[in-house]
Amino acid sequence: MNTGPYSDQNVQKFLEDNFISLKTQCFFDKPIELMEQFNITWTPTLLIHDRGGREHHRIVGYVPVDDLLAHLDLGMGKVFFDTNHFSNAIQSLNSIIDLYPRAGATPEAVFYLGVAEYKKHHDASALRRAYDTLQAKYPGSEWTRRAEPYSAIPAHAEV
Amino acid sequence: MGEIRWERDFSEAIKKAKREGKPIYHDFWFEG
Repeated sequence: MNTGPYSDQNVQKFLEDNFISLKTQCFFDKPIELMEQFNITWTPTLLIHDRGGREHHRIVGYVPVDDLLAHLDLGMGKVFFDTNHFSNAIQSLNSIIDLYPRAGATPEAVFYLGVAEYKKHHDASALRRAYDTLQAKYPGSEWTRRAEPYSAIPAHAEV
Repeated sequence: MGEIRWERDFSEAIKKAKREGKPIYHDFWFEG
């Protein structure tokens, strides 16, 4: 039975098309091995693992549909990013920015998009663009502050 | 679109993820 955001057809389709979905029931009076392994101390905790089981993204607490969809794309983008598949990472991260501009995960996606583009093309202006976008659209975000050092990069910088 | 096909075992999910070339979405839940 799929309840909450899992009853949404877009969430169902995204999970079926892009992920292997796994549920683990937690018992806090007698924590199971997976809770210890991944340090699960509250639920819901949602993890995105690569196909080898390594964690790349974590969400703690309830998230509504659009936030969950953005986090799924972000998690996928971070798996690609962490494994040096930058073109795929850029595709996932751009998708979040285009489809879910108001989602909580989107400023982080803008930040990682800048870094992924920099790593792919070795062009530092991608970092500056990320900062400019964050400053313009998400001025209060922590990710804007994390990108602050990139404000010193010229807008048309190369390597 | 129908139900989400949930795996219940981490090792089996990894095997399936490797076979299908997909990442794993893992929901830790508690029945309170």
